[in-house]
Amino acid sequence: MNTVNNNNYDVIVIGGGITGAGTARDCAMRGLKVLLVERHDFSTGATGRNHGLLHSGARYAVTDHESATECIKENMILRKIARHCVEETEGLFITLPEDDLNFQSTFVQKCNDAGIRAEVIDPELARIMEPAVNPELIGAVKVPDASVDPFRLTMANVLDAKLHGADALVYHEVVDVLVEQNRVVGVKLRNNHNGETFNAYSKITINAAGIWGTLVAQMAGVKINMFPAKGSLLIFGHRVNNMVINRCRKPANADILVPDDAVCVIGTTSDRVPIETCDDMRVTPEEVELLLAEGMKLAPSLGTTRILRAYAGVRPLVASDDDPSGRSISRGIVTLDHEKRDGLAGLLTITGGKMMTYRLMAEEVTDLACEKLGVTKRCETATTPLPGSEPIEKEKKISFSQKAAAGRHGTLNRDVERGDVTSDALVCECEGVSVGEVRYAVTKLHVHNLINLRRRTRVGMGTCQGELCACRAAGVMCGDDEGAQRAINDLSGFMNERWKGQQPVAWGDNLAEAQLTAKIYQGMLGVDKLANERRVEYYEI
Amino acid sequence: MATETQTQNVSVNNFEQCLKCSICTVYCPVSAVTPLYPGPKQAGPDGERYRLKDKVFFDESLKMCLNCKRCEVACPNDVHIGDIIQAARIKYSTHKPSLRDMMLANTDLVGTMASPFAPIANPVLKLKPMKAVLHSVMGIDKHRTFPDYSNRKFESWFKKEAAPNQDQYSKHVSYFHGCYVNYNYPQLGKDMVKVMNAVGYGVHLLEKEKCCGVALIANGMSKQAKRQGEVNMSSMRKAIVEGHVVLTSSSTCTFTMRDEYDHLLGIDNHDVRDSISLATRFLFQLIEKGEIKLEFRKDFHKRVAYHSACHMERMGWVPYSTRLLRMIPGLEFVMLESQCCGISGTYGFKKENYERSQAIGKGLFDQINDVAPDCVATDCETCKWQIEMSTGVPVMNPISIIAEALDVEATIISNKK
Amino acid sequence: MKFDVIIIGGGLSGLTAGIALAEAGKDVALVSAGQSTLHFGGGSLDLLGYDEQGNEVKNPLDAISNLNGNHPYKKIEDVSRLAGVAKKVLERAGIATAGEANHNHWRVSPIGALLPTWLSLEGMATVEDAGTMPWKRVALVNVVNFLDFPTKFLAAGLRNRGVEVDVKAFTLPELEQLRKSPTEMRSTNIAKVIETNNLIAKIANEVNDIAGGYDMVLLPAVLGIGSSETSRHLLKAIKVPANYVATLPPSVPGVRMQTLLRKRFTALGGTFFTGDQVIEGNFEGDTLKGVKTAKLDGTTLEADNFVLATGSFMSRGLVADYNHVYEPALGVDVEDLGLDRNTWSKIDVTESQPYMEMGVKTDSCLRCQRAGNTIANLYAAGSILGGHNSIKRLDSAGVDMLTALQAVNNILK
Repeated sequence: MNTVNNNNYDVIVIGGGITGAGTARDCAMRGLKVLLVERHDFSTGATGRNHGLLHSGARYAVTDHESATECIKENMILRKIARHCVEETEGLFITLPEDDLNFQSTFVQKCNDAGIRAEVIDPELARIMEPAVNPELIGAVKVPDASVDPFRLTMANVLDAKLHGADALVYHEVVDVLVEQNRVVGVKLRNNHNGETFNAYSKITINAAGIWGTLVAQMAGVKINMFPAKGSLLIFGHRVNNMVINRCRKPANADILVPDDAVCVIGTTSDRVPIETCDDMRVTPEEVELLLAEGMKLAPSLGTTRILRAYAGVRPLVASDDDPSGRSISRGIVTLDHEKRDGLAGLLTITGGKMMTYRLMAEEVTDLACEKLGVTKRCETATTPLPGSEPIEKEKKISFSQKAAAGRHGTLNRDVERGDVTSDALVCECEGVSVGEVRYAVTKLHVHNLINLRRRTRVGMGTCQGELCACRAAGVMCGDDEGAQRAINDLSGFMNERWKGQQPVAWGDNLAEAQLTAKIYQGMLGVDKLANERRVEYYEI
Repeated sequence: MATETQTQNVSVNNFEQCLKCSICTVYCPVSAVTPLYPGPKQAGPDGERYRLKDKVFFDESLKMCLNCKRCEVACPNDVHIGDIIQAARIKYSTHKPSLRDMMLANTDLVGTMASPFAPIANPVLKLKPMKAVLHSVMGIDKHRTFPDYSNRKFESWFKKEAAPNQDQYSKHVSYFHGCYVNYNYPQLGKDMVKVMNAVGYGVHLLEKEKCCGVALIANGMSKQAKRQGEVNMSSMRKAIVEGHVVLTSSSTCTFTMRDEYDHLLGIDNHDVRDSISLATRFLFQLIEKGEIKLEFRKDFHKRVAYHSACHMERMGWVPYSTRLLRMIPGLEFVMLESQCCGISGTYGFKKENYERSQAIGKGLFDQINDVAPDCVATDCETCKWQIEMSTGVPVMNPISIIAEALDVEATIISNKK
Repeated sequence: MKFDVIIIGGGLSGLTAGIALAEAGKDVALVSAGQSTLHFGGGSLDLLGYDEQGNEVKNPLDAISNLNGNHPYKKIEDVSRLAGVAKKVLERAGIATAGEANHNHWRVSPIGALLPTWLSLEGMATVEDAGTMPWKRVALVNVVNFLDFPTKFLAAGLRNRGVEVDVKAFTLPELEQLRKSPTEMRSTNIAKVIETNNLIAKIANEVNDIAGGYDMVLLPAVLGIGSSETSRHLLKAIKVPANYVATLPPSVPGVRMQTLLRKRFTALGGTFFTGDQVIEGNFEGDTLKGVKTAKLDGTTLEADNFVLATGSFMSRGLVADYNHVYEPALGVDVEDLGLDRNTWSKIDVTESQPYMEMGVKTDSCLRCQRAGNTIANLYAAGSILGGHNSIKRLDSAGVDMLTALQAVNNILK
């Protein structure tokens, strides 16, 4: 992993979120020599902290035609190229008695204008199609929303970038941007595991660090006017709904409920926060209340469904350059050529946009990079399936965990060892994660710790949040004695990370579960007595 | 909105109350004896989360669940694990019941056919060649002996011998006798009438009685079970209108009609449920209220070991039967540790389950052999078959034990006061 | 149904109370809503492992006298005497333990931590003095592929204390069969397979092949689910000294304790209402007359005295919802810590969590209150009592048993 050819990159991409991963993939597919760097883990930032919604674009149809058009196009593309990350759930936009039903016709019109197939359906039909929907609805529109797993999507992009020759480093943080004569020539990297620093050089550096991109720009001596907007969400213990449920009105707080994998997610709020707080977002009691109150309007049963976690992400909103006050904020894709804008060559910033328009963002910034490097190869990311998304040959009799793994890794599931008793033993029972899958993730998917493993496999994401599986997984992952101490520390950090999301919603069965977990890990095992430090991930959700 | 925010956690069969503590797996009799069954936690609440996402996560191995509900009894968080599993089978299974399964499940139909030919059927069913045919062609295990079919159904006996005398009593109950009493062991029904009459209650049959359906549910024939259940409910409603409590002498029939009808079959039984009671419970409650009194023979002596049948355990009613039995002065009572006997209705009859069934029950059989009682008492008829076959110790329903120990004359006098 | 005493809750506390009362000749019923937290235990019973400053406790009796006034031990008249009684109660139930209340020994946790404890079940690996390990060369022998016994952690933990450790594993055809179930390769199923197939001699052979040259063999506690006979038998059949270390839950020694205590209670004539929940109390003035349960519709369970031993949140003895914390069975008063839900817990999981200290209000005789009035014949015992953090103090078994015995004393007075 550390055998990075320091001097020879065409492009260094900063940021292991979906935008960075997508950009690395696109660059690599155009034949560029790419280094992708991420200070923590892939999809640690906003990528891993949103709804997991594959917008149809309908949400933006009335207010932002351009975003809506982008969404529906990307929506259709991702269904094809990222089949194993997408679940084609369809979506509803419902009108409640307190909403203006007149908005519906405008909404449908604007959807159609943007190329989004929006179909008005009878409220009764909506109740049948989605029994969880608020039965008091007075109007419903069906749209091609879907759900998407951003962890898988990011990883698939990284894997493809690597297949096309890219290098990728996680836990490597850009601590300086190297500038020579008004040109960015590379970055100074710090290995966040051991503190060592080194330089990596490239012709072009692409800043795809999300909200943290403002800090990267600062290191390069340029200013990007960013406005961190915190969005909080709640995860429920199981799927209440099988279709995405939205409110048919102008976008507001907590008006989308998405079925993601075995859970469902309500969100979001939207509040400006200082950039300094972005590394340690916590969901406030007021946000929990608001999300619940609004969520129950979409699906009343949320009021009696167990909440597993609360989490928050930060949208990287950018103020337009001609408005330094920051009042006119663009929600669209922002590509900055710092050579044109600031007279600083060799640096591009790609930001704004949405998780699900990452591919388009990557295409735009890669086009720009290619133009500067004189590369003419066209973008092929819209038509080339991501690894794992090739058509599946039907498998007849496979076990629960194999089915779950196939859902997570698509066709790459073939690389998961299985069929023998050792590999098939289950580590995480809630999510059906086997020893084979853990080993696959460790060897192939950049897994350094339990939190990485969770993002790749869903270990510890079930309703118990790691009650037994965390210890089992740590046992499978750790090597020698030194590894054992690290694994214990990791275990301690992991349990704390799980608690961080549980704590704002610690009541009912969630509190009971937390007490049981504490009894096992602290009272019985004594993890707290053995752990002597917390890993970097301590600060993450 | 009417719903109160987050004051309760509502999910189908409480599947989301699962704390993943794994206690259910300790008490599952099946997963201990076969690696093919994924265990109650996986088959139940864990699997349910994924089945809600996609039905491909349903696995036919769930049919190995005995539906003994011991997982539910053990669960500290009131998750209806057994119901989750059975409901998933009903909802997702594409498995078609075989002829064998249909035969085993239709206990009343087969009983109707066999009873008139009992003198022929019983020996034939016991013949080795017949057993070999049943084993290989039908998949009914050769070790099993079908319970004898009586040549005179309980119903026929009752109508002729008992019915005419029932109106002389001032108080009345209805009796859901079940298939076993009707076709295989009318003596229990006779004992029931004897005891109830002695304490001053007239006994009546329901206008129409169908098999409770427990075997149909277990064999994947829930639609037929539902139809039969509706018939039973409507007969019972009529009896209830007349002020009757509906008594049974089988814990499994009782459990099925009180709980499974609603939970698994979607039969609305809320107006009937509380009026269905096990005879031992009914008697105990009356004795406790001081409304009746049992007098026992001085010369009765028996060492009785009580076995808690799974569904009896699930209903939480074991103490009614045991405290009633312990009222008999000449009865030496031994409580067996609660374990599944392994038969679980028709489950143990299937040749693919025979070994599992015996392995499950082994602990119980060892206990019984150690205790060496004169008889084992239990409220379930299928446990009776299994325990008798596997230990040779006779098994009696508590009602039959009461009937045997009862000083009928003295009881009649006591209850006339 | 009428009894002398009704116990609500069938865990360590409820069973201790039930047995002690039955031994005193009372007609006792016990209502239990499912199995208990004994299933998560480690084969040892803690009295007080850490004081309120977080220091390891050497002599629990001394340290108990220095606890703050809210701790349930403060309502126990003679801790030392009741600790002795508790040990006897276990012994008579067939649960042999080693340990004394006036000096802790150390249990070996499944991940290799040494934790101070009071009583350890026979055969469990323990250390008299955490500073000096009694073993030089240890063979850590697991069952192949048994993930709930984290040998790497355990080995590292022992090596850190200067012990030479080799990790080994064995298997048998019967266990290979069990391995085929990805979910069911668990401690209790392994125990059942070993016991039903009489594998002790075979296992002893396997272990003896490995054990030469070691002064201690440590095995996962996967034997003796219904009695300690098999677990004892295996240790005897192994040529070198051998002990068990707890596994991840479910805990075989815990299940054994539960089974034996229940057996003892039933053998003493106690009536066990299994898998049922008390849903309502019938109060008259300051007296509890009877309780209704979820399953015995139409029957009230009546008694002269009652013991509430339903445990904490994880056992549903206490329930927290969006708005408040309450006691769901009888609606007795919960210690009012002046908290709203945002202060029930703290951000760091290893901090002392306020919710852990919540419990029902009791007077100095452990009697519960309802709407501010003391109920004369309703006693609380075990984890439902607040005022302490059992996970930080490592005092849960002691609180469970000693408060139960104290409640029994108060009833018998």
